[in-house]
Amino acid sequence: MKKINWKKELRLLPGYLIVCLWVLFTAVMLFWILGASLSTSREIFSGDVLKFQTGLHFENYVTAWQVQNVSVFFGNSLLYSVISCVGVLAIAAPAAYVLSRWQFKGSTALRIGLVIAMSVPVIMIIMPIYSLATQWGIKGRLLLVILYILIRVPYTTIYLLDFFSTLSRTYEEAAYLDGCSGPNTFLKIMLPLVQPAVITVTIFNFMSVWNEFFMALIFTTSESTYPVGVGLLNIINSMKYTGNYGGMFAAVIIVFLPTFLLYIFMSEKIIAGVTGGGVKG
Amino acid sequence: MRKNKTMIFWFCLPALLSLLIMFVYPVCRTVLMSFFQVESLTGSVSDWSFYGLGNYLKIFKSQSFLTSMHNMLVIWIVGGVFTLAIAMLMAVVVTSGIKGKKFFRAAIYLPNIISAVALATMWIQYIFQYDYGLLNEIVKLFGGEKIKWLGTDLKFWAMTASFIFGSVGYYMLIYISGIEGIPQDLFEAATIDGAGKGKQFFSITLPLLKGVIKTSITFWSINTTTFFLWTKMFSPIDTEQSTIVPVVYLYDMVFGGKGVITRDAGAGAAVGVVLTLIIIAVYVVTERLFRGGDLEY
Repeated sequence: MKKINWKKELRLLPGYLIVCLWVLFTAVMLFWILGASLSTSREIFSGDVLKFQTGLHFENYVTAWQVQNVSVFFGNSLLYSVISCVGVLAIAAPAAYVLSRWQFKGSTALRIGLVIAMSVPVIMIIMPIYSLATQWGIKGRLLLVILYILIRVPYTTIYLLDFFSTLSRTYEEAAYLDGCSGPNTFLKIMLPLVQPAVITVTIFNFMSVWNEFFMALIFTTSESTYPVGVGLLNIINSMKYTGNYGGMFAAVIIVFLPTFLLYIFMSEKIIAGVTGGGVKG
Repeated sequence: MRKNKTMIFWFCLPALLSLLIMFVYPVCRTVLMSFFQVESLTGSVSDWSFYGLGNYLKIFKSQSFLTSMHNMLVIWIVGGVFTLAIAMLMAVVVTSGIKGKKFFRAAIYLPNIISAVALATMWIQYIFQYDYGLLNEIVKLFGGEKIKWLGTDLKFWAMTASFIFGSVGYYMLIYISGIEGIPQDLFEAATIDGAGKGKQFFSITLPLLKGVIKTSITFWSINTTTFFLWTKMFSPIDTEQSTIVPVVYLYDMVFGGKGVITRDAGAGAAVGVVLTLIIIAVYVVTERLFRGGDLEY
């Protein structure tokens, strides 16, 4: 271990104070919510959260999960996220590979189109999509999954494209000499080589779909198809009648947990990914 | 390497179709729709009647829309200044050689990965809560009167503050990656020449981060023009004038909200076009303002 240079640390003290205060605030908030999710509504209102005088009320979680339908919302969100992550890869990875390898008619146009699409606001596309979906009779879970896949295609393609371009062409030349076909080379050699990028982009797609709210609010019509975001809003709006604060905070924790756990284990990868793809000075 | 045309075709087709169905067609149709009188989204195109700039005139005469634009502008400027300044401060501190750099970086970014609905709920039901909320506990500690943070007067600022809190981490990461791209010997040389930390920040860090700051302003603009969720959380059932933003106005107009008697998809499309034009304008202006002088190092 290096010896602590006290003089240097002292000079950094104001900095430490700033970041510590900010992080402390975040921590207080999260711990209080966690505490409240294990307390009764009465304890919450009398300011006795985190004292747990009547023990830990895990039944809040049971209520949230079963009575308030969080299990349904959770299942839906999981379904939407997992299927769209796979679906978007199936569309984006081949295109990213081909675009990174060859110049062909329309390749530049496609590439520029994808980059522009990344910054098209959802409000510009939501209304015609609504008309199209009604016209074609697509609705409910299937509609949301399709939309989540399609909307993530530009970002995923551009992200993977950058990584495919860094790979040397010698791999393909060797594969070609060995008689490996183009699609086979892609599947068996090139795709595994960009596996780290595939994982990063999938984490981002997962979190983005898990946290998506706007389209879910517009396109889900029944409680059985709500993802967690819309479901949580629903729980909060009905709180006036139920008055179950403990249950609501339990629901918040359940919604918060999946992306939080993902972050605990992969924060380095996620942080590197935020500034790695697309963001250039 | 041999060019395999069949493979290129089939590999690109799904992505191309996604682009056409999800982006090109909808954007064109929205733009077109903004010039027509369209009541319902589900009606057929033959029901549309040409309206010229009628939809645009309508929204710019609507008091709700003007209020929503005003709110958005305040979020953009006030929220933007605070978010980007705090993010820059955090980025400078985190990269200043403090211990636990990775921890602080991860902890400050944390709010960005939480579902925004959950994050907003934490603020509304805890931080700003009247009876047991954190802020009022602090106020009580100093012997003050409890404050109605979510009352009509303060609601907008409460919403903006929590939105800022949720956004800082992302911009901090952008700035950190910018700062880490600056060669360390520049700072060492400056230290030897006797320049203090503050001087170093304004004479080295800030000018060299020009490009990164430009990017962050563009992102912030996109972020505020598409502002929706936080308003929906802070006034979940009825839209209130104090927190309304253009996308919420559009949502009520097109998909039906309280107080909207006849739905008007054409006007909604016009709102979308106006917001997109604003994003493009901001992009062009920042691009101009920060042009040239992309310093080489």
